[in-house]
Amino acid sequence: MLLSTPAYFTFLAAIFFAYWLVSRFRFGGLAVIVFANYFFYARWDLMYLALIPAASTCDFFTGRALEREQRPLMRRALVTLGIILNVGLIATAKYMPARPWSWTLPLGLSFYAFQSLTYTIDIYRRDAKATSNYLAYLASASFFPTTLAGPITRIPTLLPQWSKREMVSAQDGGRALFLIGLGLLKKFMIADYLADHLVNRVFDLPKLYSGSEVLLGAYGYALQLYYDFSGYTDIAIGSALLVGIKLPINFNRPYAAQNIADFWRRWHISFSNWLRDYLYFSLPGLRSRWKIFTYANLVLTMAIGGLWHGASWTFLVWGLWHGTGLAVQRWWQVIRGNPTPPARPIPRLWRGLATFHFVLVGWIFFRAANLGTARDIFAQIGSRTIAFGNVTRGFVLVLIVAAYAHYLPKRWYDRSLELYCESPFYAQAAAMALVVIAIQYIAATGAVPFIYNRF
Amino acid sequence: MMLPKKTSLVIATFGALMLLLELTKVARPYAPATVLDFRPRANPNMTVAEPPRPRPAAPGLKPVRVEPNLIDQHGALTGFYQALWRTESKETGAVTRILHYGDSPVTADSITADVRSLMQERFGDAGHGFVLIAKPWAWYGHRGVDVSGKGWFIRPASQSRVPDGLHGLGGVSFQGSVGASSRLVLKEDHSRIEVQYLRQPDGGLLVVRAEGQVIGEIETAGPEKGSAFRVISLPPGARHIELTVERGFVRLFGVSFERDEPGVIYNSLGLNGGQVQVVVRYFDKAQWAAELQHEAPDLVIVNYGTNESLYADYIERYYPGELRDVIRRIQSAVPRASVLVMSPMDRGQRDSSGQIVTPAALPRLVEVQRQVASETSCAFFNTFQAMGGEGTMGRWYESQSGLVSADFMHPLPAGARRVGVLLYQALESGFRQFKAKQQQGLARQTP
Repeated sequence: MLLSTPAYFTFLAAIFFAYWLVSRFRFGGLAVIVFANYFFYARWDLMYLALIPAASTCDFFTGRALEREQRPLMRRALVTLGIILNVGLIATAKYMPARPWSWTLPLGLSFYAFQSLTYTIDIYRRDAKATSNYLAYLASASFFPTTLAGPITRIPTLLPQWSKREMVSAQDGGRALFLIGLGLLKKFMIADYLADHLVNRVFDLPKLYSGSEVLLGAYGYALQLYYDFSGYTDIAIGSALLVGIKLPINFNRPYAAQNIADFWRRWHISFSNWLRDYLYFSLPGLRSRWKIFTYANLVLTMAIGGLWHGASWTFLVWGLWHGTGLAVQRWWQVIRGNPTPPARPIPRLWRGLATFHFVLVGWIFFRAANLGTARDIFAQIGSRTIAFGNVTRGFVLVLIVAAYAHYLPKRWYDRSLELYCESPFYAQAAAMALVVIAIQYIAATGAVPFIYNRF
Repeated sequence: MMLPKKTSLVIATFGALMLLLELTKVARPYAPATVLDFRPRANPNMTVAEPPRPRPAAPGLKPVRVEPNLIDQHGALTGFYQALWRTESKETGAVTRILHYGDSPVTADSITADVRSLMQERFGDAGHGFVLIAKPWAWYGHRGVDVSGKGWFIRPASQSRVPDGLHGLGGVSFQGSVGASSRLVLKEDHSRIEVQYLRQPDGGLLVVRAEGQVIGEIETAGPEKGSAFRVISLPPGARHIELTVERGFVRLFGVSFERDEPGVIYNSLGLNGGQVQVVVRYFDKAQWAAELQHEAPDLVIVNYGTNESLYADYIERYYPGELRDVIRRIQSAVPRASVLVMSPMDRGQRDSSGQIVTPAALPRLVEVQRQVASETSCAFFNTFQAMGGEGTMGRWYESQSGLVSADFMHPLPAGARRVGVLLYQALESGFRQFKAKQQQGLARQTP
């Protein structure tokens, strides 16, 4: 069940009413959420009804054992068990070979596994306490809005939120619906439009297009990916908020970043924080006086982050590209100090453009089907052939709107949100209906899966 | 009972509004029961097994598998098989000529290039055949020939057509004045080039060069408008061919490259947006007949349908008549040629749940094609069924193995190869059946 389909919103509305009707009883509220989680998984494949509760139960008891256990060796063994279980789950879902006699999973379970790992590792590091509430753990570990593509939420930050007794406020309810509407607009009116009208064709067969068209296709993909993923995140955050759960933000105008480290503080924030806290900090040599370890670990962390997206050379190159960029930036800061970024607009613009184009090169590897296609894309861009026969006015318009909207001042967004939240209920409902009708008549592409669903 | 009052009211009102909009048919219909649809979802990691590439079979009697997707109940392909047999026997001058008319995949020589290479590997290579002299569409191509042109006013019959309907064999008219030129680069040697042009009262001069040397001058002026052809021998090793307008206005339709040896010429004749109605309405009947007669094909493949496959009403009311019209034009122009109606491939579109499904009208269109082929004594190849039937493009796309592009319609090279292999296998299997029957008949007659 994709987060952009009518079926999902029917399901969400039913869960909203069911949850708040029983929420005065903590057990009732949690039971509704656990039911919703497993219903959501079962809609993809009934096999999950066995797999996810079994994995969650293992993690729950591993956490309990870690809490009680004081012997370092045993604690290490327990956390290793948790890591093997969850990494094994990712590997099974992602890489198990397809054979006619074997079943395969339609969903990548990476986001489930990442969240579960935060639980056992945090308890191992004594950064969090194990919960004794089995139902609360099940509700958190497989919380349905985050199942498909995050944001990766630490279970220790979710658990206390189930204990709250307050009703969701009109302000938060309005914010939730606003985010859902915004996410749908981002997905259907921008991301899918750009994909259908040039990006997919250019990345499928780049040699058929002029250099200028391929370059526009690459710009289009950068915006498509942002609007697709941030649209999903908005819907996920809005859905969680409807049942009173606050998820972390995942994007903060990433293409306005002033350098590559800044980009990773703004793009897929929950993932980059996860990589930093659970991978980078765990690698050996970080406290060594040999700075080379710092640089090597940055490259290694990003290479692993790249390979997480899939066992392909393109993802590895993408990870290495960003890892190298981060390492070079760190090295530059070591030898030149860490000066305050310039406040003047022109230098800021140049730095922003340079960072964006560095990221764009990475996106070409990220999107290309293989290294040969990536090479063709660069070759076409380098051919300096200029023709726009395959670029429609609609595509250019959406590209400009998408780019412009990305750089809009945050206060504009806050003001729009405020206006929506202050509107009477019928105006809010009418606005939502207008969004749906606009999508049906203008986008007209059907429900296309979110890009990050497959990871 | 505790409910967040305002948010609950918004959701309830929104639900009521959507119900109202659905009842007034403003919103798309939606069945709430789909929430309870627990069928397993498509697996994005699934791979689709590739059929083995056929090996060229040696001539002679071998067990023959009946090809279920190639229907030839009237023996429509007999003439083609006879020509192919002569070619296989390497009789002098035995060239089997195939014209493959189709829509957008054929414009990029998708599918046709694969069938061509398989047939030429098996029966001999008599040349590239027909090539347009410039790219009407960015993706136009012909495998083994680099095509570039400048200064031409290009008018495909399916788009900015010419008012006189004279679009030549390939359905595209190229008009150029002094300075218009084309460059065609071949990867292998050919014996000759045939320039296909329009003879007209105010026609200009076209110069043909090979490796920079003039090999022919074509005066396109003539007393009346009509198709004309000029064959020019190519010097050994000549692979860079240039066509340049040096005086007046010249209108070209394409060129054809051939070799002096028995083999197959498989002409790829794709039109972007091609449909049977383009042929019926915008191809000048007499000129197209003259082009077909000049080409004297042994097999004409009519491979339209993708662009029509979304219009259920058109398919029921007009499509059968228009398809019959196209077939009759071919049969009356070249009565000895075999005609094969080739169905479109599957195509996909997303439904409201995000699944990639076959448009409802497509299977019906395929059935209509089969019926019309039967009525008009043509052979029929069911590409749609051969590649896997309904939902194939969805399965291909989700296999993520580069089989079909993101429009679920245009095959990528690997997908086109699969379809090409299927068509080749069907024709080759039919040919072997034909030979087996002929040889059995001969054996019975021999005392």
